[in-house]
Amino acid sequence: MSEKPGSRPSGFDRRTFMAGAAGSALVPMTARAAAQDPSSSSRQDPSLPVDVTLRVNGQDKRLSLDARTTVLDALREHLKLTGSKKGCDHGQCGACTVLIGDRRVVSCLTLALAVEGLEITTIEGLATDDHLHPMQQAFVDNDAFQCGYCTPGQIMSAIACVKEGHAGSDADIREYMSGNICRCAAYPNIVAAVKQAAPEIMKG
Amino acid sequence: MTAAAPEPKANMGQPAPRYDAVAKVTGRATYGSDMPLDNPAYAFLVTSAISKGRINSFGLDDAKRVRGVIDIVTHENAPKLKESKLFSNGGYAGTTIQPLKSADVAHDGQIIAVVVAESYEAAREAANRVKVSYTTVTPSASFDSPGTTKAAAKGQNSQFKEDPKVGDFAKAFDEAEVKLTASYETPTQHHNPMELFSTSCAWMGDDLVIYEPSQYVYGLKNGVAEQLGIDADKVRVVNPYVGGGFGSRGSMTPRTAIIAGIARRLNRPVKLVPTRDQGFTIATYRAETRHEIKLGARRDGKLVALRHEGVEVSSRPDPYCVGGTKTTTRLYACRNVDSLVSIVRADRNTPGFMRSPPEVPYLFALESAMDELAVKLSMDPVELRRVNDTTSEPIAGKPYTSRSLMPCFDEAAKAFGWAQRSVTPKSMSDGDWLIGYGCAATCYPTQMGPSAARIRLQRDGRTRVEIAGHEIGTGAYTIIAQTASERLGVPLEKVSVFIGDSDLPPAPVAGGSNSTASTCSAVMMVCDRVRQRLFKALMPNESLTDKAKETVGIGQTPTTQAAKSDRPLDLEKAFDALGAGVVEEYGEWKPEGAPLDSFKAMHSGHVRLVGGAAMKDKIAYAFGAEFVEVRVNRFTHEIRCPRLVGAFAAGRIMNPRTARSQLMGGLIWGMSSALLEATEIDERTARYVNDNFADYLVPVNADVPGVEVILLSEQDDHINPAGAKGLGELANVGTNAAVCNAIYHATGQRIRKLPVRLENIEV
Repeated sequence: MSEKPGSRPSGFDRRTFMAGAAGSALVPMTARAAAQDPSSSSRQDPSLPVDVTLRVNGQDKRLSLDARTTVLDALREHLKLTGSKKGCDHGQCGACTVLIGDRRVVSCLTLALAVEGLEITTIEGLATDDHLHPMQQAFVDNDAFQCGYCTPGQIMSAIACVKEGHAGSDADIREYMSGNICRCAAYPNIVAAVKQAAPEIMKG
Repeated sequence: MTAAAPEPKANMGQPAPRYDAVAKVTGRATYGSDMPLDNPAYAFLVTSAISKGRINSFGLDDAKRVRGVIDIVTHENAPKLKESKLFSNGGYAGTTIQPLKSADVAHDGQIIAVVVAESYEAAREAANRVKVSYTTVTPSASFDSPGTTKAAAKGQNSQFKEDPKVGDFAKAFDEAEVKLTASYETPTQHHNPMELFSTSCAWMGDDLVIYEPSQYVYGLKNGVAEQLGIDADKVRVVNPYVGGGFGSRGSMTPRTAIIAGIARRLNRPVKLVPTRDQGFTIATYRAETRHEIKLGARRDGKLVALRHEGVEVSSRPDPYCVGGTKTTTRLYACRNVDSLVSIVRADRNTPGFMRSPPEVPYLFALESAMDELAVKLSMDPVELRRVNDTTSEPIAGKPYTSRSLMPCFDEAAKAFGWAQRSVTPKSMSDGDWLIGYGCAATCYPTQMGPSAARIRLQRDGRTRVEIAGHEIGTGAYTIIAQTASERLGVPLEKVSVFIGDSDLPPAPVAGGSNSTASTCSAVMMVCDRVRQRLFKALMPNESLTDKAKETVGIGQTPTTQAAKSDRPLDLEKAFDALGAGVVEEYGEWKPEGAPLDSFKAMHSGHVRLVGGAAMKDKIAYAFGAEFVEVRVNRFTHEIRCPRLVGAFAAGRIMNPRTARSQLMGGLIWGMSSALLEATEIDERTARYVNDNFADYLVPVNADVPGVEVILLSEQDDHINPAGAKGLGELANVGTNAAVCNAIYHATGQRIRKLPVRLENIEV
C-alpha cells in the first residue's frame, strides 16, 4: 500500500491489514509525521498522548491517547463503550467488529489515530430509543447467541454482510459471516437471524 | 414460531426468549473486563519461554524505562500467597503449580512476571522488553517422551475411586465368538471461550471485589481468600455475564490472587486482560488420552466381555484425570467387564474439565469400537445398540432412573434417513464426493449439588430471585425466572433474577451439567415456602396439605392450573392478612444422597455433586443418539460434514429454545472435536505451537451447514424436584465417533486417532 496514511476512507479490515502489514498505512499519522520532523522530538515517543477526536455513534469524542491505542481499546478503556469485545486482539475472532463508514472492521487491528474523522458505529449505536435495530431483533427472535460475548461483533458484521449484498443465500451468509467466531456455535441461528433481518435492512 | 423456538412436548416448559436477550444484543451485558474501575492500573503477563528449568535472572532495566510503568512483579518481589489444594482433591485450584513463588519453571507459558503500568499499551510494551535468562532442563512433553512416569489413577486422585469391573473378563473374552481389540487416541484441546481469562481486582479498605469470568463464584471467592490469608467474607466475586466457560472457569487459576495481591500493594484497582495465547497456559485444557478397547460378543451381537483401558496426561504435581470408564463400563449390558485408568505425568500445565470431560474421549473409544464390532458382525450399528440396551447398569446392577437411548436412536434415525443408506462402505457418492453415514450413542450423568436461593415477592406480584448461579450462555437467567414464575404463578415479566455474584445465596459450580437441576430445585423449594407463608396468614387453621398448597396459589395467571381451581388466592388479601408488603424467604436445598457436610461445603465453595453412577441404589443418565453425514472428496480428501442430526432425552426440558440451542452448539462441538480441534505440542520443547484462533481450529459458520436437534419427551421422578437431567454436556459426546464411523462408511478407512485431517485419509 503506497497511499498516504489516512487516505483510506474506511479503515482497515483483517485482509488489507495482512496484505499491508509491512507497509506504512498503519503508522499513526502524528508519530510518522514526527519521525520525519526531527525538530519535534517530543513527538517521537509513541507513549506520549496524542489528541484525537473520534466520531462514535454520531458524536464527537475528544481524547488524549497513547498513539498505539487501538480503536477497540479507545472504545472500551477510554470511552467506556464496552459493547465491542476483545476476544483475541489479533483480528482472528471478530468479537471487536465495528462499522467504520459502511465497512466492517476489526477494531483491535485498527489504530484509533488512523480513523480520526471517520464515522464509527458500535453496537451501542444501533438501537434508537427502545427500538432494537432489525438485526438485533432478529438475533433475539432466532436465539442467535448463548454466552453473548461474540454477539456485538456478529451483529455489526451481519449488518455489513447484508449491505454488501452477501446475504442472498444461506451459503453466502455462512461464508461471509465466517470471520466472526461463535464458540457456543450458534451458527445456524445466526444464519436464520441474518436471513430474517436482510429484507428489512435492504428496504430502509 | 421460528425454528429456534420448538413447540413444547409433554414435560417441557415454554420456549420463552432469553431473559438476557436484549442486554446481549445491545452491548449492555457487562462481562468481567467491562466493569468500570476507578483509575485502574493495567497488568500484562510475562510467561515462560521454556517448559522446565529455572530462571537465572531477569533483565528489567529496559522494561522499567518504558513511560508509565509502575511496577514489575517477579518471584523476587511478588506478594506472598498461601497454597491451595487441587479442585479435584478438595481445594479450589485448577493447578497446584503456583507461579511467582520461586525461580522454578514447571510448564510452558507459566506466569513469571507481571508488569503493571498506567496504560495497557505501556504494560504490553514493557512486558515485551523484559529479558529472562533461563537454565533449561529437557522437558517431557507427552505420552512417548522420555522422563514421564505412569501410575494407576486409583489411589492418587480422590475423585477417581474405582476401576469398575465385574465377572470374569479374561475368560469371557477368551471364549467369545467374535472379538475386537482396538486402540484409540484423542488430542489435547483448549476450551477457548470467547472471553479472555481477564481479572480485575479492586480493594475498598479490607474488602476485595473481583470482576472475573467464573463458573464458580463461591469457589473463587473462598479460594482467593485462602491464598491471600483473609476472611472469605471480605471477598466478593461479581460476574453477571460470562463469555463462555466450557469448564475452563470452574476452578481457580493462579492469576486472580496474584492480581489481587498486586492491587492491595498498589492500593489501586488492577485490570488484567491476558492475551489469547496466554490463555492456553495460564488456565486448564483437555489432556490427550489413549485407549484400548476389547469387546467380546456372541454372533447375535450380545456383548459378553468388555474392557476399557484409558491413559491420560497430567502435570508433574497434580493427579488430574477424567476417568471415563465409570460411564463406558455401564453403558451397555455385559456380564464381564474390566477397566483401568492410568495417569502419565509430564512437564505440562495441569489439565482440567472441558465440556463433558470424561465422556468426550472415552465414548469416542467405545462408540468407535461398537461400530467396528457391528462391521465384524455384519450388523446394523443401531441394532447392535438395541441388542445390548439395558435398564440397569451391569457393574452393581442398579436400575437406570429412566433411559431413552433406543427411542433417541429411532427418532434420530428416522429424521436422518438412516434406512436409505447403502450398507457397504464406499458405495455412496455424489460426483467427486464419497458419502458416508455414521452414528453413535451419547450419554451424560445426571448430577446435582446443594444450592440455596432467596426469593422476595411483593404484593403487586413483582418477584426477585437471588442465587449465585452463573450465566455462561446456558440460559440460567431464563430458566430460573421461568421456574419462579411457574411455581409462584406470577407473570414471567414480573420476575427479576440476580445471579453471578458471591454475595448472593450459594449455588454449585456451573459444571457437570448440574446447574439447572440444582438451582431450579432450590428455587422451587423456596417458592413453596413463600406460598406457605401466605397460605398460613390467610388460612391459619388449615393444614398445609398438598391439595391446599396447590389450590392456594398466588397471583395466578389465568392459564395456570391453580387459577382454575376453586380457591384462588387473592394476593392483596393474603398480604393484608400477613400484615406485610413483602414476603422474603431464604432456603437451602440438597439432593437425595448428598453428604452430611453439604450445606457447610456449599458456603465454603466446595463442590458436593451427587448423581450419575455414584448414587446408592440407582443410576441416572441423560441419553441421546447422533447421526452424521460426511462427504470426503476422492481427490483432495477434503472432509465436510453437511448434516448432524441428534435426538436427546434429558428429563424435563425447562425451555425448548435454550435447550435446542445448547444441544445444537454441542453437536457442532462434537463435530469439531472429530475434525478440527487439536493443540499441537512441540515434542522437543513441550510447548504449545498453535496457541491462537488462526491456528487452533474451531468451527466457523461455513463449517456448519445443517444441524437438526430433536427433543424427546421424558419424565423422570427419581432424580430431583425439577426433574431435569441437564443437557449442556450431552450433545458433544459421541459425535466424534459418529463422524469417524461415517468416514469409515464413506471411505472404508477406519480412523482411530483424532482429529481427522485430510492428510489422514488414504482413499
